[in-house]
Amino acid sequence: MSAPLLEVQNLHVEFDTYGGTVQAVRGVDFKVEAGRTLAIVGESGCGKSVTVQAMMGLIPMPPGRIMKGSAKLRGVEILGRKTIEGREVRGAEIGMIFQDPMSSLNPTMTIGDQIAEPLIVHRGYSRSKAWARALELLKLVRIPEAEKRAKQYPFEFSGGMLQRAMIAMAISCKPTVLIADEPTTALDVTIQAQILDLLKDLQKETGMALILITHDLGVVARMADDVAVMYAGQVVESGSVDDVFYRSSHPYTLGLKLAMPNNDPGRHDTLQPIEGSPPDLFSPPLGCAYAARCPHSMKVCEARSPEQFDVAPKHYSRCWLHHAQSPHRAEGLYLGGGNE
Amino acid sequence: MWQYTLKRLLQGVITVWFIATATFLAMHSVPGDPISGERAATEAIRANLAARYGLDKPLGEQYVIYIGNFLKGDFGISFTQQNRQVNDIIREHFPVSATLGILAVLFAALGGVLWGALTAIYRNRLPDTVIMFLVILGISVPSFVFAALGQLALVNINNFFGVSILPVAGWGTVSHMIVPALVLGMGTMAYLTRLMRSSMLEIIHSDYVRTAKAKGLPAERVFLKHQLRNAILPVVTVLGPAIAAITTGGFVVELVFAIPGLGRYFVQAVQQLDYTVIMGTTVFYGSFLVFMVILVDLLYGWIDPRVRVQ
Repeated sequence: MSAPLLEVQNLHVEFDTYGGTVQAVRGVDFKVEAGRTLAIVGESGCGKSVTVQAMMGLIPMPPGRIMKGSAKLRGVEILGRKTIEGREVRGAEIGMIFQDPMSSLNPTMTIGDQIAEPLIVHRGYSRSKAWARALELLKLVRIPEAEKRAKQYPFEFSGGMLQRAMIAMAISCKPTVLIADEPTTALDVTIQAQILDLLKDLQKETGMALILITHDLGVVARMADDVAVMYAGQVVESGSVDDVFYRSSHPYTLGLKLAMPNNDPGRHDTLQPIEGSPPDLFSPPLGCAYAARCPHSMKVCEARSPEQFDVAPKHYSRCWLHHAQSPHRAEGLYLGGGNE
Repeated sequence: MWQYTLKRLLQGVITVWFIATATFLAMHSVPGDPISGERAATEAIRANLAARYGLDKPLGEQYVIYIGNFLKGDFGISFTQQNRQVNDIIREHFPVSATLGILAVLFAALGGVLWGALTAIYRNRLPDTVIMFLVILGISVPSFVFAALGQLALVNINNFFGVSILPVAGWGTVSHMIVPALVLGMGTMAYLTRLMRSSMLEIIHSDYVRTAKAKGLPAERVFLKHQLRNAILPVVTVLGPAIAAITTGGFVVELVFAIPGLGRYFVQAVQQLDYTVIMGTTVFYGSFLVFMVILVDLLYGWIDPRVRVQ
C-alpha cells in the first residue's frame, strides 16, 4: 500500500478547566489510506471526538490547546493551517458529519442553501450553479423530491433525512477524507443501517477515505477496514478489523467485546461489563491507564506506560503482556479470558 | 400566512376596543370632570356646559356615542384647549413623537445587537467587562437623568467649541433629534445588549455553528449567516414591547428637550381630566402599539421559518 493519505502522529490535546488541566488526548497515532475506512472505537470521554476535532481546528482555543503532534494530509501538515496546496482543509479537503443531525443544521436556513454554501465559498460557484449541484447531491444521498426538499428547513426533515443532508453537505466539495463522528448514534436502528450503507456506497463511488468514530462494535464490524481502539486519550490497539476482532491483543479490546450483547442462539453468556471507570485525565496514571481495571494487570503496568508492541504486521497493542519478558505472554487473551 | 395576519389583526381590533372601554370606565370613575374647576363658576353654567358636551347623559349612552364617533374616526374636541380637535392634536404632534421614537428604537436595536454580539465574542475579556458595566448603568439610570446629563454635555461641548454643534433643545432638524433619541433609546439598548449577549453565547456553542466551521466557512460568514440571524430572534421578540416602552415613555425626554411631541398632551390631559384628549391619545397609542406588536410578530415569522407554519 502506498504512503498514507492522512497520518496523525503523537497528537496531544489539553483543556484548561476550573478543576485543572485535562489531558484529553495523550499521544494518538493513526493512519488512513485512500478508499479505506478507519474506525476509531472507545467509550465516552476517551478522546475520539477531540482527536478529530483538533485535526479540523474545531477545538475552541482557549480553553483547548494542541500541545504537540502532527497531522499530515498527503504529507502536508494541516494542524493550525486553514489551507494546503491552495485548497481549504475544512469542508474542501476533509468533510465532517456529526452525531446529532437535528441540532447540527442551521434552523433558519434552507437545506439547499446549506448544501450549496461550501460550493459557493470554496469553489466560487454562482448561487444558481451551487443550487443545481445541491439538488444533484440531495439525489445522490437518496432524498426523494430533491427540488421540493431543498427549499425546506431542517425542522421539516426527519432525523435520518437530516443526516443524509449533512452527508450531502460534507461531500459537496469532493473531500479526500470524510470524518463521521458517531453518525448514527442519534438515529433509529433501522435508519442507522441505511445511513451506513449510504456512506459505504458513497465511499465506493468517490474513493474517499472514511474515519468513523463510534462506540458500537457492530458498526465497526460492518464498516471498517482498520480499527483504532482508544482508551483514556491513547490508541491502545490498532490493526485491521480482522486482527482487532479475531486476534484482539489488548485486554481493553477484549473487555469491550465481552461487554457487547450478542444473540447467537447457542450461547448463553451473561454480559460482562468492564468494572470500574476510566482514569481521571486531570492527572493520568503513571503506568498503563487501563491497569486499574485490567484482569491481567502486572507490577510493571502500574509503574510504566506500555509502548507499542507489534503483534503482527500493521497490528500493534499498547500492553506489557506482549513484552518479551512478560511471564504469561498474552496466551489467555485470544481465548477470551476476560474479567475474572 | 395571510390567515395568520388576518387573525392577528382581528385580535388587535379586539385589544384596542378593550383598551378604549377600560380607559373610558377608569376615566369616568376618577372624581371630578373636565368642567369642574374655575370655568364652572355657578350651577347654571355647569349645567349648560355639561349639556353642551353631553356629560349630562347617562354613562352608557355617552359610551355608545363615543364608540360610534371612534368608528367614524372622530375623537371629538378638547375640553381644555379651545376649539381644538383631538384629531388635529394627534396629527400635529404624533409625527414628532413617532420620529423620535423610531429613531430611538433604531438606535436601541442596532446598538443592542452590535454591543451584545461584541460582548459575546470578547466574553470575559476587557471589551465585555467595559460594555457590561455600561449596560448596568444604562438599565438602572432613569431616562430623565440621562436627558439632563445629555443636555449638560451638549452645553459644555458647544461652549468649548464656541459654535453650536448640536442644539441643546427644540425640534426641527435632524441635529435636534440625535441626542434625545440616544437618551430615549439608552435603557432599551442596554436591555437588548444583555439579551443579545446571552443568546449569542448560547449559539456560539451550538452544533450548527460547529458545522458551519467544519464546512470551512470564513469567520464573517459564520457570524452573519449562522450566528447573528439565530441570535437575533429573542431580540426581535422583545422589540414590540420595547417600542411600547419607548413611545409612551418618551414624554419625559420630550419635556426636558422641549420637543413638541404627543407625550406632553397625553400627560397634561390626564392631569386636567380632558376626557376627549385622554380617550383620543390612549386609543391612538394603544392601536399604534398593538399594530407594532403585530408587525414584530410578522417580522419574527419572516426571520424564523418555524413560526411561519404554526
